[in-house]
Amino acid sequence: MKTIMVCLKRVVDYNVRIRVKPDGSGVVTDGVKMSINPFDEIALEEALRIKERGEAEDVVVVSIGPADIQQQLRTGLAMGADRAVLIECNEDISSLTAAKVLLKCAEKEAPDLIVLGKQAIDDDCNQTGQMLATLWGRPQATFASKLELSGNVAKVTREVDAGLEVIEVDLPAVITTDLRLNEPRYVKLPDIMKAKKKQLESVAIADFGVELSSKVTAGNWETPASRAKGIMVNDVDALLAALKEKDLV
Amino acid sequence: MVPLPVALPNPSRTHYKRLSVVLTKTIPDAVIAELKSIVGEGGWLDSSADLTAYLEEWRGLFTGCTPLLLRPASTAEVAAILSCCNANNVAVVPQGGNTGLAGGAIPGLNDQNEVLLSLERMRDIRAIDTANFTIIVEAGCVLERLQQAAADADCLFPLSMASEGSCQIGGNVSTNAGGTAVLRYGNTRDLVLGLEVVLPDGRVLDELKGVRKDNTGYDLKQLFIGAEGSLGVITAVTCKLFPKPASVATALIALDSISAVVDFFAAARTALGDEILAFETFPHIAMDMVQQHIDSCHSPFDDEYSWYVLLDLSSQRSQSMVDTGLLAFLEAQLDLGLVTDGVVAQSGAQRDAFWRIRHAISEAQKLAGASIKHDISVPVSQIPLLIEKASAVAESIAPGVRPVPFGHVGDGNIHFNLSQPEAMSAKDFLALWGVMNQRIHSLAVSLGGSFSAEHGIGLLKRDELARLADPVGLALMRSVKLAFDPNGIMNPNKLL
Ligand SMILES: Cc1cc2nc3c(=O)[nH]c(=O)nc-3n(C[C@H](O)[C@H](O)[C@H](O)COP(=O)(O)OP(=O)(O)OC[C@H]3O[C@@H](n4cnc5c(N)ncnc54)[C@H](O)[C@@H]3O)c2cc1C
Repeated sequence: MKTIMVCLKRVVDYNVRIRVKPDGSGVVTDGVKMSINPFDEIALEEALRIKERGEAEDVVVVSIGPADIQQQLRTGLAMGADRAVLIECNEDISSLTAAKVLLKCAEKEAPDLIVLGKQAIDDDCNQTGQMLATLWGRPQATFASKLELSGNVAKVTREVDAGLEVIEVDLPAVITTDLRLNEPRYVKLPDIMKAKKKQLESVAIADFGVELSSKVTAGNWETPASRAKGIMVNDVDALLAALKEKDLV
Repeated sequence: MVPLPVALPNPSRTHYKRLSVVLTKTIPDAVIAELKSIVGEGGWLDSSADLTAYLEEWRGLFTGCTPLLLRPASTAEVAAILSCCNANNVAVVPQGGNTGLAGGAIPGLNDQNEVLLSLERMRDIRAIDTANFTIIVEAGCVLERLQQAAADADCLFPLSMASEGSCQIGGNVSTNAGGTAVLRYGNTRDLVLGLEVVLPDGRVLDELKGVRKDNTGYDLKQLFIGAEGSLGVITAVTCKLFPKPASVATALIALDSISAVVDFFAAARTALGDEILAFETFPHIAMDMVQQHIDSCHSPFDDEYSWYVLLDLSSQRSQSMVDTGLLAFLEAQLDLGLVTDGVVAQSGAQRDAFWRIRHAISEAQKLAGASIKHDISVPVSQIPLLIEKASAVAESIAPGVRPVPFGHVGDGNIHFNLSQPEAMSAKDFLALWGVMNQRIHSLAVSLGGSFSAEHGIGLLKRDELARLADPVGLALMRSVKLAFDPNGIMNPNKLL
């Protein structure tokens, strides 16, 4: 296999307490710690392992966002990706727009495999990979917790509600990754230095000729209502009485 | 649970005659009744089932007893309690979250009845002033709640340690606790602007004012900070607050020797200044033990290195500026050859993973066999010499011993902990506790350091204080004690 394309989305770091903007127009991202979407990090790790096994030659990481997502792409390069493509875009875009832009990228890179997270932890949409596969006209294997390649076929173990499902897809294909697939490596200092010399290509999203406006608009954002304070009860009888009083049993 | 070391200081031994007043061994029923009436229903406990948690020391080294636990709800109640106890020569042991590591909060260890006074019901946040960057809280406020109250006001209360879910600010002040942010923000003493204290005779010392300049004679409140409940009961504290950092950055660095660690620290301070929040070190054996015994803790490195440093930064500058600054510094150190390898946290999850390794060391060491512990400090420049000499001392006492020195390099504070030799039984090894302590404590002192850096004296190191303290200082401490507490009712036989 020649090229694996990995899509990385920058999101508000998992450990940051999310705050809604006072005017309800979105969540606060200014001055907030940002990281690679953890599922995408797993996708990159898997691509790197494939390459290190000698089953691929080239790993390219692609991200859509403002110029400073460079930092997350550099992290991807430091982890071991060979090249990075930054698609500069200063607006929020929908999953469908992202899929259309990534399709253009895929047409140019002609990868044998596209790997990305099953969802991004900011909007939890869980649809970009599926849309991309459909637009690309190639098979998809979502929620991967195990991935084996042989020749032109990928054998993928999927995490589904009922348990695990094993399927085979022909390459090229789109694979979306689940939590248990692997544990991403840490970024080593010498590798960060080496990553500075790797190629990072910037393109304006306008160059792809994709319509950016979305059919879906968010009306208002709200913080979930806070839970009422608990009470302490002394014994099981008191517990039952309290539950009955609230009409819960 | 660690078995009681054979040579532990004997709590009933006294080194000097201090008290002219003889404390009541058995508290008369009338006094008990009066104390109960002061706090009223719900303010006291005396059944042994209810008391267990208050009487067991955290490491299992001491188990106390008491005829009465008082849980006052106000400063006035504390004052009434102390005045009653003072009049009747009844000993009082104050207790916060009972997480202290020196046995200071455990009553009834000297063969006499002592009333236990818990601050747990005095936990109100009295006032917060974000322009003055101060908060006034009652002594029983749990540290984590105080941190949260500060965070809710968009501020930071920087005191932080592994026990923060249970320990109380009054306990932190009474032990002058250290923790993980001392390098940047100082010990608890540096975070306290004011105190309210009930004196043994029931008078209330109100020194709560939240000012940073106040040159009006002796700074009396300082005496209660680190006094371990021996001078009075702290009922409220005015704490300093700080702006919440805008960004954090964390790296785990590998180095070849402990002297490289010390040189790296100097370089880091020069380059990064006050952005350094913590600078912690541990040797490979600690990494090994953690990986072996603690689930979900893995070395981020493929290779093994002699020493590791956990470098944590926080700043008011933007995330990208801090990240860039840290990377530029680390690259320069890598080029110079001082640093061998390193990983930089790319997410909050990775930062947590690095800290988990650091915090898991004690637990992992516990699982790797019996250990003899030392909480010592020396000037940072003396750390390599301390570790070299102390390791040699330990080896001469217990051949095959496995030293696991780790801790807060930036504060010169090393937890010089020793894991038992694999060929020796736990019991034989622990029998060496006293000898080992004495030799290593003496060594720390001879290098210009302290034999008890952050955990205090309590009951555990009382003999060592008598042995190692400057005699003039010790005499002054006794005079202070006598001046504040002439009847000696406050936490007797602890500390002094
Ligand atoms: C897991 C763990 C990690 C720890 N990490 C650290 C660390 O990093 N740094 C560090 O310095 N310590 C550490 N400690 C020790 C301990 O948490 C601190 O000493 C803490 O400050 C004690 O607070 P406390 O409320 O539990 O006090 P207690 O244990 O209840 O009491 C400690 C002493 O203070 C006295 N006292 C308590 N409250 C009052 C009061 N209101 N007025 C007068 N006297 C009072 C008691 O009589 C006793 O002598 C750790 C302990 C544990 C269990």
